Amino acid sequence: MSGAADREAVFPTRQSLGLMKAKLKGAETGHSLLKRKSEALTKRFREITRRIDEAKRKMGRVMQIASLSLAEVTYAVGGNIGYQIQESAKAARFRIRAKQENVSGVLLPTFEAYTTEGNNDFAMTGLGKGGQQVQRCRETYARAVEALVELASLQTAFVILDEVIKVVNRRVNAIEHVIIPRTENTIKYINSELDELDREEFYRLKKVANKKQRDNAAQDAEMKARKEAQGAMDEKDQVADDGPSDILGAAAAEDEDVIF
Amino acid sequence: MEGLLFNVNNGYIEGIVRGYRNSLLTGANYTNMIQCETIDDLKLQLGPAYGDFLASLPPNPSTSSLAAKTTDKLVSEFRYVRANAVGSLAKFMDYLTYGYMIDNVALLITGTLHERDTRELLDRCHPLGWFETMPVLCVATNIEELYNSVLIETPLAPYFKGSLSHQDLDELNIEIVRNTLYKNYLEDFYNFVNTHPDMVGTPTAEVMSEILEFEADRRAINITLNSFGTELSKADRKKLYPSFGLLYPEGTLMLSRADDFEGVRLAVEGVQDYKSFFEAAGLGGGPGGPGNMAGGTGSEGKSLEDMFYQKEMEISKGAFTRQFTFAIVYAWVKLREQEIRNITWIAECIAQNQKERIGNYISVF
Amino acid sequence: MTSQQDYKDRQFLAVIGDEDSVTGLLLAGIGHVTAPPDAQKNFLVVDNKTDNAAIESAFERFTTERKDIGIVLINQHIADRIRHRVDTYTAAFPTILEIPSKDHPYDPEKDSVLRRVRRLFGE
Repeated sequence: MSGAADREAVFPTRQSLGLMKAKLKGAETGHSLLKRKSEALTKRFREITRRIDEAKRKMGRVMQIASLSLAEVTYAVGGNIGYQIQESAKAARFRIRAKQENVSGVLLPTFEAYTTEGNNDFAMTGLGKGGQQVQRCRETYARAVEALVELASLQTAFVILDEVIKVVNRRVNAIEHVIIPRTENTIKYINSELDELDREEFYRLKKVANKKQRDNAAQDAEMKARKEAQGAMDEKDQVADDGPSDILGAAAAEDEDVIF
Repeated sequence: MEGLLFNVNNGYIEGIVRGYRNSLLTGANYTNMIQCETIDDLKLQLGPAYGDFLASLPPNPSTSSLAAKTTDKLVSEFRYVRANAVGSLAKFMDYLTYGYMIDNVALLITGTLHERDTRELLDRCHPLGWFETMPVLCVATNIEELYNSVLIETPLAPYFKGSLSHQDLDELNIEIVRNTLYKNYLEDFYNFVNTHPDMVGTPTAEVMSEILEFEADRRAINITLNSFGTELSKADRKKLYPSFGLLYPEGTLMLSRADDFEGVRLAVEGVQDYKSFFEAAGLGGGPGGPGNMAGGTGSEGKSLEDMFYQKEMEISKGAFTRQFTFAIVYAWVKLREQEIRNITWIAECIAQNQKERIGNYISVF
Repeated sequence: MTSQQDYKDRQFLAVIGDEDSVTGLLLAGIGHVTAPPDAQKNFLVVDNKTDNAAIESAFERFTTERKDIGIVLINQHIADRIRHRVDTYTAAFPTILEIPSKDHPYDPEKDSVLRRVRRLFGE
């Protein structure tokens, strides 16, 4: 626990004690909720990172197969078709669309590949030679790109989750290491202040009681002295008065009991 | 008769080309090559055959630079032979280069159409298809200019004339332009070897006819197969078929009506070789059903394309059994091209670590 | 986080790569050229002659300027050339994906995202 200085600026009253206690309770609930959220996200995150790792390695393989099918085209056509392809590209046939997925309140986008029908920029490519290889190569690459799109979704999720997890963890840590200790400190401070007040009050009352006792004793002694003086004067009359005097003394004793 | 005077002009060339043919990689070389683990190993294996040409390559070169260097060797040998050729052989070799020119011109037309700087395209052109006036093509900025002032000057002008107008260049798909040119070229070449006084009745005419007829049929079949599912109409398709070949005219007519793989198969029924190709391809999944061979898993059988290449190589190899013929030059270029494709393929398989399909090369020796 | 609207209309992929990678991906059908007159392409072919500034500007264009691109594919060896830009790019949209190229096999050690993964788990 950090020093006693780290507390909120409140007056040490019973009301603020109540407030602080409520706050502490709230912070603890929030902490456990956020912690759970962070754990859920982290679980998802780890799963995604594992899949990214796998997918990236797989991608190497997929792209190799695709390159080989392109090599096949070069083999069959007997030349490089790159330039022609670049120039005849007009409209994308292979497109993506973004969707959302909800993970513990975080919206993760996922890409979905789709092909638009009808426009085929390369239908004629390799008409005289190698057309079949070109078509095959297109399919191979289309599949490779699908794999890439999938990987891209994972990666986007990775980036977003990474961000969100950082934020959540920051909150969790803030609650755990700042808000809760500080609230606890405040409560402790209020308690100690209140105790101090109590002790002062006790001491004051004790002082008051002592004084009362002393006063009582003095009064009693005076009374006694006066009675003895009167008794000396008329002894017979005073016998009947003893009772009430005793009762008073007993009452005073009882009073003391009540106070202490 | 031809044996009497052939060597006067062409004996040296024939000797040289036969020598080149002997330096082609053999089956044993290929067996060694497919054992390689890295491109460097492959380079080492190619050392005896390609020597100096590979020397400038960096360690572990890319497959494309390897292919470029091996092509360089072909080009320099071809240029040497061409420089020593005279008379009708020189003309014959020019004809050989026209096919590459068509590809180059198609490339430049594409560039001009899209208003690209065509100068940088010159690097991409096939060196065998280089012609004197090619850099001039880059001057043209629009297609009409290109057609009217520049293409007319090229050796390909006759192929444009009569079948393609400058509007066509603008509107038609470049593939159609290319194939129209190629059809005209094949017909012209066929005509050349069969009518030129130096070649009529010689083995040259005989062998070249066989090769060109095969080439014509191959294109017709490929165009038909590849046009399924595209906007190419049957009438337009018919215009792209060369008007000779084993399939011409009945088979070509049937091809022009074919709607699917089956239709093509029926059309080529008449020619034994093609029939057996189609049967094999049909069993192996065939190109008729798209998708079933896709994904680099299509190793279950040879594609039609592979079988055509195989056939081409066999014809080319056969050409060397004849003497006193120009056809060996053509055959040698084709064999060498196949060798480059093989090397590239093997290099690619090694680079991509896809050894299971490395055996897809075609070796005839 | 990005708003709903921001990624709804992101429907294209973009690619920065060597010729073979671009050719292959274009064959798959991702190529898109916007309507003239500006005719913007969503791909860039990089070779040895392309300078880094051109790559950077393309990267900038695909990631910040264009709002219709959801995924940017970039060859790893090209990403290496503008590594500082790729590493400092943290936005969720568009996603940057480093892909292997034909002549440069994939190296997970260099990938900016995978490096982050490693750092997070202290591996």
